[in-house]
Amino acid sequence: MSEESSVTSNRKLVLPGDLMETKSKPGKGIFRSEGRIHSSVVGYSNDKSGYINVNAIAGRYSPKVGDKIIAICVETGPSIWRMDIGASFNSTLHHSESSWKVPFGDTARFLAIGDAIWAEIFMVDAAGTHQISLKKDDCRKLYSGTIVKVNPTNVTRVIGMQGSMISLIRDNTKTRIQIGQNGYVWIDGEGKDIALAQEAIETIDREATSEGLTKKIEKLLEK
Amino acid sequence: MAGQTDMELIKNGIRMDGRKPDELREVKIVAGVLDNADGSCYLEWGNNKVYAGVFGPMECHPRHKQKADRAIVQARYTMAPFSVNDRKRPGLDRRSTEISYIVSQAFEKVVMVEDFPKASIRVDMQVVEAHAGTRCAALTAASVALADAGIPMRDMIPSCAAGKVNDVVVLDLNKEEDNYGQADLPLAIIPSTGEVVLLQLDGHLTPDEFEQAMDLATSGCMELYKKMRHALENSYGGKA
Amino acid sequence: MSNDSVSNLMKGHMESLAKEGKRADGRGINEYRKVKIEIGMISTAEGSAMVHLGKTKVLCGIKMLIGTPYGDSPGSGTMTTSTELAPLADQSFDPGPPREQSIELSRVVDRGIRESRMIDFDGLCIEHGVKVWMVYIDLHILDNNGNLFDCCTLAAAAALSNATIPNIQHGIADKDVKLPINCWPISCTFGKLGDSVILDATSDEESVMSARFTVAHDENGNLRAAQKGMNGSFTDAEIREAVKTARASDNVLREALKGIQE
Repeated sequence: MSEESSVTSNRKLVLPGDLMETKSKPGKGIFRSEGRIHSSVVGYSNDKSGYINVNAIAGRYSPKVGDKIIAICVETGPSIWRMDIGASFNSTLHHSESSWKVPFGDTARFLAIGDAIWAEIFMVDAAGTHQISLKKDDCRKLYSGTIVKVNPTNVTRVIGMQGSMISLIRDNTKTRIQIGQNGYVWIDGEGKDIALAQEAIETIDREATSEGLTKKIEKLLEK
Repeated sequence: MAGQTDMELIKNGIRMDGRKPDELREVKIVAGVLDNADGSCYLEWGNNKVYAGVFGPMECHPRHKQKADRAIVQARYTMAPFSVNDRKRPGLDRRSTEISYIVSQAFEKVVMVEDFPKASIRVDMQVVEAHAGTRCAALTAASVALADAGIPMRDMIPSCAAGKVNDVVVLDLNKEEDNYGQADLPLAIIPSTGEVVLLQLDGHLTPDEFEQAMDLATSGCMELYKKMRHALENSYGGKA
Repeated sequence: MSNDSVSNLMKGHMESLAKEGKRADGRGINEYRKVKIEIGMISTAEGSAMVHLGKTKVLCGIKMLIGTPYGDSPGSGTMTTSTELAPLADQSFDPGPPREQSIELSRVVDRGIRESRMIDFDGLCIEHGVKVWMVYIDLHILDNNGNLFDCCTLAAAAALSNATIPNIQHGIADKDVKLPINCWPISCTFGKLGDSVILDATSDEESVMSARFTVAHDENGNLRAAQKGMNGSFTDAEIREAVKTARASDNVLREALKGIQE
């Protein structure tokens, strides 16, 4: 059995409002009504270790603490940057969460509008606002390459089982690739190699639900 | 509603377009037809043709419309100038504004607006060809587009009208029946609970006829709901 | 997915690709995306067409009404072009009355069609000085992935070629006839991306390019309308080169238009 078909055959598509037959506790993508559990989104249900979840197959990125993401600067303030991360709202990067010593009012010298970073979500509050940090692990400003945007719900597809898909693309194009959980993907390398990697990633994004995707990408990369 | 007419709209229990009184026009729904929108839908209902597209949840503009504790749904219904026989002037008229407003409110009942404080969910409905029943067609298409956009909802809302022609209560009025019939009752419901989220009526119905029309419109909604599900199943390649 | 932010990295990458004559989507710099034209889908319109240019989608409907001619041309019909940047087409399209962007687009499309005399305006006269046909070209943008100018001109031309004068409905004659078409204007739009000039920009490319140049030709290769837009500039040589390139590149669009005539 191919990797794709084993993924699809175990899943059950549910739609908003669908009643979930389960004794498990409610997880994400569901709501309770009169003691019963319903799906709130289009997605695949998953009833594991006492929790029922519906993994949405569409929708904007919903930030989670600890997610590694790519962010693009859209506005600079005296001591903060407003960053686009593909979520409903822009995120905030406070100067104290950067690795630089930023004099008050001098933020644009370090990160200007259009500049991109590899960062981590470090705070999400109940009102839906969130902040990111540049101080963790390999977080940094990105200086070369390009950024491609894919649907955040297809990120796991782009990565593949144990990173198989992304390794395939990396090895065949000799590029460096980092995939943000928000669906923003950084690709670095020679211009023509980046272009090929981009085409492969966009194909996965476009045909995420189709079968035989790995074969198709292998063929595309032979060019 | 023109009220009484000499026009024979129904003969031996068969309507001018060959339908039985409780029969819908043909409906075709396709989800995910637009690339840019977060979610989209194209719907044909008889000769009606509608596109719906959804963006969001996103920051609400203008800011004074923001709600601190929830999202707002900004629905907008418009008809293309070429969608009717006499060219319609582009832009929102009073009729479109009213429809946009009641559709926004219908969706605020099912969309989990409390999950997205200060946000806006933009729902745009473009009628490109109109032959009676476009508000129901637009609302149904918008529901599918919202699901396609991954917006959390308690249910999808189908919408369908019932009406009266030649003193017979019928489902889903066509253009002639709308022009020369006696009543039109567009309805939208939440299938899982049966709650009514949109209802309008113009014309003349006896209390009994009203009950009949409600039953018919409700069954029409349930039939549409099945078609909405199929459209999403086809689009996502799975069986729900 | 639609997100307005454009990274400087993306800009640099696209500029350096263009320098080598390449594009992020694999096209050459003077190459159109795949074009598809469908006609006659709207029965309430006198003519209609849907054009797909890559992922950009435009629906055009033609309506014909009877009105009075302008005082300075009592023997000619009239033509009005409007575009609706429907909010479902792009997150940045605001609901509301037409903005400058939509008005510029309408006027450039209008000039290409009008100045080429694609429609025989004198043939639209019903009664000299009293009654003429008024042609309304309404363009509905459904999905914006760049180059609305060429996509709209193509949609307008296709819908006009498919239009019928509604004589019966208006009691003018007892037969509806095809709207007579004289020639086929085609517009080609270029973008300045870094130091390169590219044809048929996508929205990603549009968001990083500095200037836009549109030129409309008739089928004899004569210029009929042009417009330079956005706050960047072209060199004199780039403009002259673009006009030549347009003549060589517009064949794909002409072929697509011819395809619907058969």
